[in-house]
Amino acid sequence: MGEVILTMKGIDKSFPGVHALDHVDLEVRKGEVHALMGENGAGKSTLMKVLTGIYKKDSGTITYEGKEVEFHNTREAQDAGVVIVHQELNMLGHLTVAQNIFIGREFKKGIRIDDKKMNEEARKLFDRMHIDIDPKETMSNLTVGKQQMCEIAKAISHEAKVIIFDEPSAALTEAEIEELFKIIRDLRDQGLGIIYISHRMDEIKVITDRVTVMRDGAYVGTLITKDCTKDDIINMMVGRVIYEDPKTKNMTPPGAPVVLKVDHLNAGKMVQDVSFELHKGEVLGFSGLMGAGRTETMRALFGADPIDSGDIYVNGEKVTIKSPQDAVKHGIGYLSEDRKRFGIVVQKSVAENTTMADLDEFSNGPFINKKKEKEIAEKFVKELDTKTPGVDQLVVNLSGGNQQKVVIAKWLTRNCDILIFDEPTRGIDVGAKNEIYKLMNQLAAEGKAIIMVSSEMTEILRMSDRIVVMCEGKKTGELDISEATQENIMNMATREIS
Amino acid sequence: MESIKQNPLVKKVGFNRIVLCIVLILMYALFCALTGGSFAGTRRILSALNYAYFLGFLSLAVTFVIATGGIDFSIGPVMFCCALMAGFSFTMYGVPMGGALVISLVVGIAFGIFNGYLVAYWDVPSFITSMASMNIAKGLASVFTKTQSVSWPQSSQDGGWFRSLVTLDGIPMGLIILLVIAVVCAVILNKTKMGRYILSLGSNKEAVRLSGVNVKKWEMSAYVLCGLLVGIAAIFFVGAYTTVQPGYGDQYNNEAIAGCVMGGTSMAGGLASISGTIIGVLIISLLQEGIMALGLDKNLQLIITGVIVIVAVFADVVARRRKN
Repeated sequence: MGEVILTMKGIDKSFPGVHALDHVDLEVRKGEVHALMGENGAGKSTLMKVLTGIYKKDSGTITYEGKEVEFHNTREAQDAGVVIVHQELNMLGHLTVAQNIFIGREFKKGIRIDDKKMNEEARKLFDRMHIDIDPKETMSNLTVGKQQMCEIAKAISHEAKVIIFDEPSAALTEAEIEELFKIIRDLRDQGLGIIYISHRMDEIKVITDRVTVMRDGAYVGTLITKDCTKDDIINMMVGRVIYEDPKTKNMTPPGAPVVLKVDHLNAGKMVQDVSFELHKGEVLGFSGLMGAGRTETMRALFGADPIDSGDIYVNGEKVTIKSPQDAVKHGIGYLSEDRKRFGIVVQKSVAENTTMADLDEFSNGPFINKKKEKEIAEKFVKELDTKTPGVDQLVVNLSGGNQQKVVIAKWLTRNCDILIFDEPTRGIDVGAKNEIYKLMNQLAAEGKAIIMVSSEMTEILRMSDRIVVMCEGKKTGELDISEATQENIMNMATREIS
Repeated sequence: MESIKQNPLVKKVGFNRIVLCIVLILMYALFCALTGGSFAGTRRILSALNYAYFLGFLSLAVTFVIATGGIDFSIGPVMFCCALMAGFSFTMYGVPMGGALVISLVVGIAFGIFNGYLVAYWDVPSFITSMASMNIAKGLASVFTKTQSVSWPQSSQDGGWFRSLVTLDGIPMGLIILLVIAVVCAVILNKTKMGRYILSLGSNKEAVRLSGVNVKKWEMSAYVLCGLLVGIAAIFFVGAYTTVQPGYGDQYNNEAIAGCVMGGTSMAGGLASISGTIIGVLIISLLQEGIMALGLDKNLQLIITGVIVIVAVFADVVARRRKN
């Protein structure tokens, strides 16, 4: 480890309803891989967005290469050598690899773009990383792993001095992760400062030199990786929060009827021949890597995307689902992984969102009965303990966890018996997360059937009665919770690829 | 400033609308001062209003489409098409006046269905759809009237009774009808399922669709309502201007859209205000009158409306950016 290259001190940031960062410190040295850890919603991504100028900090200082700096946008950060490799890849699928890498700063020959030079330069970058990708290949033809390598090449091409990896391994296979680590070690040895964000404890031990832990938007502490155990880190991450007890056995009442049966469902490349059954009162976990086709399966089954073939049975009866309207009619509710885009209408109030799926019930002819609407919204605010100043509050002003509760209230208002939770705790802070878990268990106990898609292994193991594992659009396994371990799930999740 | 905005009364009426009203009054005072008082007077105002009603209906019409996040550039030409086809049926085919008025409404609704169907069910961008139907409206009217202009009857003539919709013995019927329909529009927008869905899908269509709502139907309904209001606008247009020529009508698009966005309806969809639209239209009409009364170049008004649209939309963009 060399000298300090980046210091963030006392960084504070608030959003309406959430204190996202509470005086957080972070120090990165040249030639180290520094892990940034914490539960979902602990504030890691927010901290990185403050660093790279996407968010403006409320207070605190950032010192980079000995000078106090404040980047106003990612461009400024890039130019200074602070580059982020995002969790979601920001690639333009129809352009070539080289065009993607040099987007916004293309080499020119007169007024024409010099593709030849760009290909050469991209080749040099890949050589430096010791990987073999054709710069002329169209981006969308590459695997997720290869696309990630291109993101890294792009970062290096900015003459980066600090590279931030935001959960880079989430979508990668074992072999690809190995390759990624090799590249990261190379970069470290060249004297770069690396910030590595991940949930995977094993990786942290393997690749990082120091660990900074955050919890609930606050700084907890920094440890030297080789001097601490996994448990040390976990304790720091979880702190006072006591989670719902993990399930050790299937809690579904014996002989519970099958409420949903999906038979040989096909929908595009991402859903191939998927079959499963869901029982009354059961939580069925869907595990797999990013891009395994779980969300696509749920969207197809909910009628949000077209189905190519396959049958769906609700309560033993074959049903035709061509649109979300049909699905809702059969009592299926879908809580999307991306609440802001697919779950809520942010400019509408809590009450208006609550009745969105069942407005006919709250209308007399064409007129909305606002009194009745307000009553049901207030009832669910109370039952779900949604934190809002009132039901007239616009949803945009609520925190992630409370927005999620509004979406749950929407489907409960509609009396849906089958609820699909897609990444139910993504972007939700730790305390609220546990409340969502409690709520899901409670709903299952009341006889609702729940499908839970989750990329977090701990969440899958904590909540599911049974687990379906998918990989590259196919179902690769099904387990009872009593026989499930991280290892055998991971095996199934990577079965197709390796 | 913030404390004024937080005042409960101000909150209820809406800060923007209060500002607009002040602008309206100041503009009026300015024109009165500049013209040495000849601008004031109830009769002058009422006669000027006769030329403003149709714009009010057009602006109300496009408010619903903009609320869905769409746009309609065909309202002006469609209004002309309604007026031409209805008027031609009256003068050439001897359709009674009552029937002619119905034809105007039906033509408006037909264009609304056409636009709405393409936008909602075929996912054609509303920009393109309305550009196309603008040309269709012009062409259809020209073909139907064999490119002749059409004059609607004067009040003394046969069928001239329709003018009593605009004024009746000095009573400004047009103003009354416009306000009544504006109230109906406000009720639709704020109190009904249709209005709720129109605003919600303008804000986040995918979230509404995934709530199991028939978004196509509701999106189309906004265009159909728009068409009906355009059909009404046509009647008030000929009530004021009497003669319509095929091949025109475009300039009223901008005025109607300007009135709408000035009133606080967001071009991005999801936010709309009927009272704001009405005040916006009044400002535009006042401007028109003022420029005429001052003897300035009429084309100045085109420039000013253009600037107003840009300023209003920019203000909306800035407000949104600040919220995020």
